[in-house]
Order: sequence, then C-alpha cells, then structure tokens
Amino acid sequence: MTSSGPASVGFIYREVVGRMMEEERFIEAVGFSNVVPGSEALKLAMFIGYSAGGMGGAIAALIGAILPPTVSMLLVALAVQQFQDTPWMRGFTRGIAPALAILIAMAAWKVFHNGRRIRKRAVLLALLCLLALLIGFPPGLVVLLAGISGIWLFR
Amino acid sequence: MDLLTLFWIFLKVNLLSVSGLASIGLLHHEVVGRWLSDEQFTQAVSFASILPGSDALQLAMFIGIRAHGIAGAWIALLGSLLPPTVLMLGVVLLLYRLRREAWISSFVEGLTPAVAVLMLSVAWKLLQPALSLDWRVILLALGSWLALRSNLPPAAVLLASGLAGILLYR
Repeated sequence: MTSSGPASVGFIYREVVGRMMEEERFIEAVGFSNVVPGSEALKLAMFIGYSAGGMGGAIAALIGAILPPTVSMLLVALAVQQFQDTPWMRGFTRGIAPALAILIAMAAWKVFHNGRRIRKRAVLLALLCLLALLIGFPPGLVVLLAGISGIWLFR
Repeated sequence: MDLLTLFWIFLKVNLLSVSGLASIGLLHHEVVGRWLSDEQFTQAVSFASILPGSDALQLAMFIGIRAHGIAGAWIALLGSLLPPTVLMLGVVLLLYRLRREAWISSFVEGLTPAVAVLMLSVAWKLLQPALSLDWRVILLALGSWLALRSNLPPAAVLLASGLAGILLYR
C-alpha cells in the first residue's frame, strides 16, 4: 500500500498500536529499524511480527512484507524489458530522470539531516567522502570507513 | 560466478545502507556498466519508487532479472533479505534486553554523510543532460521539485514526469 519504509510507518502505526503492541514499543521498533542496516519495511515487519506472535509472527509479517513488492516488480521488470526499445518507453525514461534526480537529492538531504541538528563533524565527514570518491576510492570502502570513523566521531 | 557476484553485491549494499533509496549510490557503482545501462538503472529506481512495497527488494528484483534472469532475481532478493532479517532478529532477541547498542547507532550515523554524498552523485548524473541546456530537463526538474516540496506523493510526481517525457521527447 505504501511505496517505502518511512511512508508505511504511519499506516502501520494505526493498524498495530493498541492491538498488538503499545505505543512505546512501536517507537522502539521504528528506532531500531533506523539503526540496523537493510530495508526498513522488512525490519519493521520483523520487530512488530515478533512482538505480536513470537517467531511465527515475525516470519508471517516478513512474508507479508516481501510478497507484494517482489511479485509486482517481477511483472513490471518483465514488461519494461519487453517495451525497452519503443519510443514511448525511451521518452518515459528520459522524462522520469529529472524527477528522480530531485527525489534522490531531497532524500539525500533527509538522510543527512534526519531531524537532527547538523554537526560540523558530519559536514566534514561528507566533504572527506566526496574527496575520497573524486580521487577514485571504491564507494563501498568509503561508506564502510565513514561508518567506522562514525564510531569515534559520534560517540 | 555471475550469481555469486550478484549475491555478494546485494549483501554488501544492504549491509551498508538503511533504506532503499539510500542504497542507490553504491548500487549504481556496482551494476551500471556491468549489467545495466544508465537508462535501465533509471528505470529500476523509478519503478521501485513508484510501485508499492520495499524499494530495496524491488531494486534487487529488477537488477537481478537484468543480470541473470529469474534466477538472478531470486539471488539478488536473498542477498537483500539476509542483512535486515538476520540483524533485526539479533536485535529482537538480544538488544531488546540490552537496550540500544551505542556503537551501532554511531556506525550508522557515520554512514549517513557518505551515503548522502553517493546519493547526490547519482542525482547529479541523472541531471547531466541539463548541462547541454536541454530545457525539458530543466522544466521537469523544476516542476518535480515544486511538486515534491508541496508534499505531493513521490510516486505520482515520478509518473507525471515520465508521462510528460513521452510527450516532450517525441
């Protein structure tokens, strides 16, 4: 029903708080899912599923979170492959690129800012990462190093 | 071999980012040129944002199919599923009692500047045609920015921009 983890938080809140868990535990679930790496929607599903029905609940919630996106994407991916070379598909892709760029840029700002006061250290780290990427360091390594330096910088 | 690489890439990308859209910087670097063109990558991210459900899983499906057909899709999916489920299970079973583990949250806080910079680099790449003063790109980017600022749903904005593209790029 929603297109991403953050968007689904409000929706899940209405469904589960009071019925399956208290508000405080829900906030904890959202907090954890922001801290643990990987897809947000899945982590929420695990946490809430576990609170509601133990291991079985976690697995049930997980399957519910996995099926709709994967099946719909499978169909779309196959369709896109089919129409790849049609002029309207090319137009659609070129048209969607600027919107996607803006969406990504705004999401990048949100990731960086995330409701906190921006710290000088974070800005410095961002500049260092930019520099490392421009020099040609592999992105995976840059992200990993940034995370490790975060353990010291953001204690 | 291809399948193993695919699995490793998605495992790595999902270990180093906390949400779907945040992973595209790393993902772009790993898959564009190897399995996907820039154009196909745009399609993958767009449809993952438009379709309901987890973006990360949908990116895995789309890219997996391109790389190695249906088998590729399942392998990429598995790689994306393992980090969040295994780690969250750990959180549920252990940290639940120990409360928040401080170093993990510092680690993730350290990731975010790097992830944000990588995301910007992908956005920058997508906007490249604007440098040749293609007015359509500028128009669509400005329109999308205004629409997203006024909190229109991203899926609707993307679709509208894509449809406008069909008309503008005939």
